[in-house]
Amino acid sequence: MAGPRKREHWGSSLGLILAMAGNAVGLGNFLRFPVQAAKNGGGAFMIPYFISFILIGLPLMWVEWTIGRRAGVLGHGSTPGAYQSVWHHPLAKYLGIMGILFPLVIVTYYTYIESWCLGYSILSVVGQLPKMPALHDIAVSQVLKPFADFLSGYMDARTFMGGQVIIPSVACYFFFLVTLILNVWILTRGVTKGIELLAKFAMPALFIMAGVLVVRVFTLGAPVNPDQTPLSGMAFLWEPQWSALLRPSVWLAAAGQIFFTLSLGFGAIITYASYLNEKDDIALNGLATASANEFAEVILGGSVAIPAAVIFFGVVGAQEIASGGSFSLGFVTMPAIFSHIPFGMIFSAFWFGLLFFAGITSSVALSQPIIAFLEDEFGWTKLRAALTLGIFLLIFTHIPIMLKGALDEMDFWAGTFGLVFGATIEVILLMWLFGSRKAWDELHRGSAIKAPRVFMYITKFVTPVLLLVILGAWAVMDIIMPAVKTMLAKGFGGWFMGFVGAGVGVWTARLFMVLIALLFAWLIKLAWQGRENQEGES
Amino acid sequence: MSWQGWAFVIIAWGVVGFLFLWCFYKVLRGKKGEDNS
Repeated sequence: MAGPRKREHWGSSLGLILAMAGNAVGLGNFLRFPVQAAKNGGGAFMIPYFISFILIGLPLMWVEWTIGRRAGVLGHGSTPGAYQSVWHHPLAKYLGIMGILFPLVIVTYYTYIESWCLGYSILSVVGQLPKMPALHDIAVSQVLKPFADFLSGYMDARTFMGGQVIIPSVACYFFFLVTLILNVWILTRGVTKGIELLAKFAMPALFIMAGVLVVRVFTLGAPVNPDQTPLSGMAFLWEPQWSALLRPSVWLAAAGQIFFTLSLGFGAIITYASYLNEKDDIALNGLATASANEFAEVILGGSVAIPAAVIFFGVVGAQEIASGGSFSLGFVTMPAIFSHIPFGMIFSAFWFGLLFFAGITSSVALSQPIIAFLEDEFGWTKLRAALTLGIFLLIFTHIPIMLKGALDEMDFWAGTFGLVFGATIEVILLMWLFGSRKAWDELHRGSAIKAPRVFMYITKFVTPVLLLVILGAWAVMDIIMPAVKTMLAKGFGGWFMGFVGAGVGVWTARLFMVLIALLFAWLIKLAWQGRENQEGES
Repeated sequence: MSWQGWAFVIIAWGVVGFLFLWCFYKVLRGKKGEDNS
């Protein structure tokens, strides 16, 4: 075991913000946000969305930056050490398991999804994606069928055991390997020469490609029907349905969207902030990161996919598409639209290219907490840590690739519940156990702006309560209510059989997550024992 | 699109756009951080 060692630092403020923004800007900005807005009240959705930004998003962003910078100064870049740097209790380091477990579980399937974007981008350029049939007098589902079939064949080329085991297409598997190698190569180069350099290239490229697509969508005119224009697309997304504000589910959706879009609770922001110097600004940089993400989401993300869907399929068609979910919008509807416009292959390549850049800047951020954990707590080199992670992902990504239901199960526990739970712990640790006044001073050490003091009270009292409300509401809606409904319909035995017989993929995913959590608990114990032995010897 | 729809577009884009430009102006201006604690 190695003691505190010299840690890397960001090369520039701009590089840091672009890397942080790269972490936050993901597929959700361009796929999840427009679908959520369209389904939850259009323009009216922006009211709970901005309120959630102020009451949850920005406070948590500052909480994570504050914990991260403090932890980095003390020689820790991952949550076990970071939590202990604000709460000197033996339990703190074990609570930190969440900040390495969840990103590891998420990156296990996220890299795979990211590889679809790379694959589709290349297949667009070489003209291998399907062509859209004539639009007149044909149902949306029929128009999109060749694209839905193509996606299905791309991911699930062959199935076994009644569809429980899936073999992807050769192209899908090839692009997964390329994506994985690319991720590992970037991680081996470290923070400045790897992650920061990637962000300095990928983020401007992403903004330019998104800008080109926005201009293209706004200049499409009315290619199908005189009533289906870019303006009607914007109206579909932005026209406020005031009654939506009375539905609690809309407020919950807005809070969830803010939470996911800013990549809070992953542990990645804490790790990135740990590479700051003691007096580097965090208040302005945290706000700049959040604002870059919101720009990419509200202005760019809201102006491409849904308006384009309305132009080609009308309001009714767009509603059907939105109800089909984010992936259908991105990987089925958008290629169909691009196949119908001049030079569509180039715009399609831009669309999937920007999704790939959004994905890879997020996946390296999700990987870095594990790298930092192995480097800081075990003294590993970044080459050794990155290669170990690469081999781990090469083996275990086959769970979400090949086992039906595994990806959704991992996303449900690690990518949804886990994150909100982790964020709740973080805010309690910093604002209650470390102390809100000390945290406020810590936030403003070296800061270029002074945050309004009301945020200290919001972060201490309002943010944790709202997070608990979200957790409780999700637990009721997604776990308790479905279980109660099944029990009422089929009795306890019926529910139990359904629970036990959830499928090979679901149970493999559950077992995988539990075993990784136990492995991390053991590694943390080992690392701290080594540290104590070393301190005892010296 | 009704005036309410336009109002939402203008306000949402305005707020987000202003925040984005203001933050990056402050960051790129490169003013060294002060101790505001």
